[in-house]
Amino acid sequence: MLSWTKDVEQWATFARSWFLIDARMQPPGKIATMCSIRLQGKHKPIYHALSDCGDHVVVINSKHIAFSGNKWEQKVYSSHTGYPGGFKQVTAAQLHHKDPKAIVRLAVYGMLPRNLHRRTMMQRLHIFPEDELPYDIQANLTEELPQPREIPRKLSEYTQEEIDAFPRLWTPYVEAHQNIL
Amino acid sequence: MVFLTLSCWIRSRGPDRYWKVQEVLKHARHFRGRKNRCYSLAVLAVRRAFVYATKARKLKKRNMRTLWISRIAAATREHGMKYPALMHNLTKSSVQLNRRVISDLAITEPRSFLSLAKLARARQQEGFRAALGDGKEPSGVLSRVVMLQ
Repeated sequence: MLSWTKDVEQWATFARSWFLIDARMQPPGKIATMCSIRLQGKHKPIYHALSDCGDHVVVINSKHIAFSGNKWEQKVYSSHTGYPGGFKQVTAAQLHHKDPKAIVRLAVYGMLPRNLHRRTMMQRLHIFPEDELPYDIQANLTEELPQPREIPRKLSEYTQEEIDAFPRLWTPYVEAHQNIL
Repeated sequence: MVFLTLSCWIRSRGPDRYWKVQEVLKHARHFRGRKNRCYSLAVLAVRRAFVYATKARKLKKRNMRTLWISRIAAATREHGMKYPALMHNLTKSSVQLNRRVISDLAITEPRSFLSLAKLARARQQEGFRAALGDGKEPSGVLSRVVMLQ
């Protein structure tokens, strides 16, 4: 084979692609799993821990993530400044209010392997609180990943016909006794 | 750069202790710090290195297998299957390829790998097809139920 075709093959194999993930109404852990797999390059058959084959991941709408249960109040992020009495604890809601990127970033950081490549891989993660992207990042994007969870619709988004057609297990007391009341 | 060839040629000359030290230092020359030239440090480091080397001969097999598995898992997910499902159904179809060969196929021959994935998929859905389908064989895939003990 010609030598330059091998060069092209090499460049095409190890080219970095840019993935877009929309985090609106998604659990941060699910988003972080998708990110960490792609940042490590574990979605490629050529994966090797030392071959630096990870891709870029762009996460948008990180301000609109959705925790399930009572995690906003009960999940605690701890850190220590290193000074005496410097142990800080903030709930997820406080942290999210202070920095809307932090929860996704910490979740991804915790899922990456604890080695010297960790910071490098984190540099290929780009988080944006809203859905506006700067042009230089938008121009690189190659693929949008599907959201891991389907966004549930609010009651206000259903039309009246759909609400009426929805099967009912029981009749509310007010409707049943409307004539009597 | 250390040139040992000449000193080895005239080996019969010189004290025995010199050669004993050289036998150990030979294995320690690429080490870091004083242990690549001081005998008392080098002998400890070389012994430790040989212990690591012995253990690593077993670990290498294990690590290579994990690497093949993660590569196959990556390739399998490209085709919408999971790794355990692929391997289980290939075994049930009597495909006797090991993980090293399958991961090589996934890298160098993606189409061969795709046909393996299709085969596993058809084998996976065989039960559903027997229960719910129209009794026809899936097109393009030769798949038979193999009774394995």
